[in-house]
Amino acid sequence: MTRRKNRKMGSHHPAIIGVGRTKFGEHYEKGPEMLIEEAWLKASESAGIERKDIEACYSSDYFLQLTNKIGIEEGFISEFSELHVPMEKMRSFSSALLNACNGVQSGKYGIVLVGGVEKMTDRWDKIRDDLMLLEDPWSYYAGCTPEANHDLMLREYIKKYKISGTSLETFNLSLAHISVKNHHHAKLNEYAQFQSEVSVDRVLKGRLNAGKSLGLFDFAPISDGATALILASSDITKEYSDAPIWVIGSSSATDYVTFPSRDDRTSFMASTIAMKNALKLADIDVEGIQIAEVYDQSTLLEMISMEDMGFSQRGKAWLHIYNSCKDYEGFYQIDGRRLFVNTNGGLKADGNPLGATGGAQVFEIVKQLKGEAGNRQVNSDGDLEYGCVLELEGFGTKAYVHILARELK
Amino acid sequence: MSSEPIERRVSYIGDRLRGSQCSICGKEYFRTKDYCGKCGRKSFGKMQDIDFFYEKGKLEVCTIVREPTNKFTKLGPYIYGIISFHDEKVRVPGRLTDCILKDEEIDISLLENREVVPRFRRRCATGQSDIIPTISLAFSFADEYYPHQNHEIIKPKKEYETPGIVGYGVYVSKFRIKESAMERSIPFIDEDAITAAVEAGKMALIHSRIDPSLIGKVYVGSESNPYAVKPIASKVAQVLKLGEEEKLDGVQSVDAVDTEFACKAATSMFKDASALVYYPRAHIPYAMVIGTDNSQAAPRDEIGGELDFFVGYGSSAFIFGIHDVIAEIEAWYSCTSDTPDFWRRSLEPYPRHGGRFTGDPAYFKHIQKAARRLMEKLKLQPSDIDYFVSHQPNIRFPIKVATELGFKEDQYSAGLQVAKFGNTYSGASPIGLAAVLDEAKPNEKILIVSYGSGAGADAYCLTTTNQIKEKRSRQKFTVQHQCESEHVEYVNYDTYRRFKLGL
Repeated sequence: MTRRKNRKMGSHHPAIIGVGRTKFGEHYEKGPEMLIEEAWLKASESAGIERKDIEACYSSDYFLQLTNKIGIEEGFISEFSELHVPMEKMRSFSSALLNACNGVQSGKYGIVLVGGVEKMTDRWDKIRDDLMLLEDPWSYYAGCTPEANHDLMLREYIKKYKISGTSLETFNLSLAHISVKNHHHAKLNEYAQFQSEVSVDRVLKGRLNAGKSLGLFDFAPISDGATALILASSDITKEYSDAPIWVIGSSSATDYVTFPSRDDRTSFMASTIAMKNALKLADIDVEGIQIAEVYDQSTLLEMISMEDMGFSQRGKAWLHIYNSCKDYEGFYQIDGRRLFVNTNGGLKADGNPLGATGGAQVFEIVKQLKGEAGNRQVNSDGDLEYGCVLELEGFGTKAYVHILARELK
Repeated sequence: MSSEPIERRVSYIGDRLRGSQCSICGKEYFRTKDYCGKCGRKSFGKMQDIDFFYEKGKLEVCTIVREPTNKFTKLGPYIYGIISFHDEKVRVPGRLTDCILKDEEIDISLLENREVVPRFRRRCATGQSDIIPTISLAFSFADEYYPHQNHEIIKPKKEYETPGIVGYGVYVSKFRIKESAMERSIPFIDEDAITAAVEAGKMALIHSRIDPSLIGKVYVGSESNPYAVKPIASKVAQVLKLGEEEKLDGVQSVDAVDTEFACKAATSMFKDASALVYYPRAHIPYAMVIGTDNSQAAPRDEIGGELDFFVGYGSSAFIFGIHDVIAEIEAWYSCTSDTPDFWRRSLEPYPRHGGRFTGDPAYFKHIQKAARRLMEKLKLQPSDIDYFVSHQPNIRFPIKVATELGFKEDQYSAGLQVAKFGNTYSGASPIGLAAVLDEAKPNEKILIVSYGSGAGADAYCLTTTNQIKEKRSRQKFTVQHQCESEHVEYVNYDTYRRFKLGL
């Protein structure tokens, strides 16, 4: 059997030449088409393209079929955008981006619109049930909730690493700090759902109210929102942009949908594999990554992602986080290196409109790499060269990693 | 969820917790699989059917669910976690049932690593006109009310000339309400007449140790089937794998039928089951009769609400055959008259009854008639009978009828269980019979007389055999255990009504 190794991203390099997004939160007065339009027009404007330049469209949403009774999203997009190009609909934004990259790399498309949207608040009373579609049905039948697997993973983690007593207190505090930190970042993000600080005490009180280890302030909210980006092939980027952001690694991996059936329930195998492969494609080491947007559906998952992606050793991320957050300077300090994580506020505070979430993650890395993040711009040691985005579908069932670079080397 | 094809597939797997094991590498799976992921194509045709229905699991990790999804709201808050079987070879998701979580903080770590037993329950709430979803991914702790018991199958040793009972089981829930002189069993919120029937049948199989595939017919008597049309017996046959299993079609080679005649729906079938196993051309070695009820009663301030002081919840199952009999059926007598003392019209949720009329021309007349005629037939005096059991809608009636028939307290007290469990309708006199069988010695005579409103009575005379003693140790979940267990939990009136209404 031949093994694939070190396959580069091809000669048609995909580059992001424009990004756009809406504010996340509840958009009671806006339908999904108005949200997509806003994000798309912003992205097109920042890319300097016309509608007619778009050769294909990859869109993403999880639940538009349920929330807005739209069965063929592509036709819906075609109708309001008056475009008749090939369109494909994925679940997550990262999945749409990955497929768009494939389209560009193959040489088939020069300019591609990637857009994601979600309108979760339109089904406020049923959306938690809808979210169970992302778990295996047997867990649902047994009474699982969107939060329960996070709680179980936390139990597995502290048992595996024998965290108890004062260590457990520190562990719990480290997760609380993640929420505090993400809210702190979101305060400077005009698009964020929660532009407000929370205190450690408030996070802890949320847990007390919930009567368990993860409470209200540990979980990402229910959100509406849309995001978009314009992807272009290296052949033509110069016509539109002097400083595009290059997608130098694009990878995904898949795991069992049934969480109890996975051998290791203290990490996401899919994240680990996707990151490893993305780094290979990008031809850089993990130490090269200076800024990362990870999928903090809960504070626990931000911590777990740090290990899955190789930033922290297994069983150690919570210590790195705790030590960095005692006097937070805007980054995690890991073995003397700075790593900026979820500088847009993460899913926790920026918001989590599922199909659009990955777009906001990419948006943030693009802005940071371009130095256009305004008062959110990170204080890196040197120039920011590489950033990455981890997006999950389901509870670690699918993982997508995109590595973005300021320059194509 | 309420789509019938999905429900069929989910409950087929989930009710019995069916799985597969690779005979090459030994890897186990929850859910049936045609091949092993580890061994690949070479494992085709080498997968063995297994199931976890009688197994003991371990709760590995868990959490409290205080905000369930919509269909689970009535269950909450509850404990949800991961359960492993067979030394962690298989892991399944599961919910702890039979557990009322109090407001105080719960130390999750005290629940973890404890052994649990699968329980057959309703899965979640559903619309009034939908299929009722069920599952056995509900668990209770093995060291509490419901013990884990192995399910063994052994070859019978002895053939009898007279058919009789070869095994039996009783199931009442651990929840009770205590008012004045009576304690009454009440279902947990995910229980109903169907789940109790399966539990009692399971206990009878554990006690009898017969091969369930040799059961040719199952009768389930009930007046509280949550369906107007759809048998309980089909669920019992499927979950307990009664009759030979036609694996390719998922069909059991068994006849299953529900019967209804108020509280004698089950006892009426004792004679049919006995006759069936006795008839050689039927080729039916065993037949099972279950009486099950989540006894219905209107709330106290409504018409018919008097029953609300007496109703219980429970089920009993009896297996009849001619091998390894523990109590032979000597004779029976049944009588019937069209006496409308208690009834429930279709589409009505609760029964009505004729007040005083239910006692005098109804209950007493029919029971006395049946008992006297049977004793005459067998030329027996009350003093020849060791145990007398009658239908027990309250404490007063069975004592009065026994006394009037000439029985003494030591003859009727063992079979009088109504003060502990309430009136379990179709399960009532059979539970009394089970309590007697739990303690009877060989060669003792039992007279059981059921009563069904509408009205009729069945009297049976049974004689215990030597084998009653040797089989007794097989059952830990005895009537006495269910009555006296330290894990019995008492609830208030509001909880009782809520639980009884169910999901």
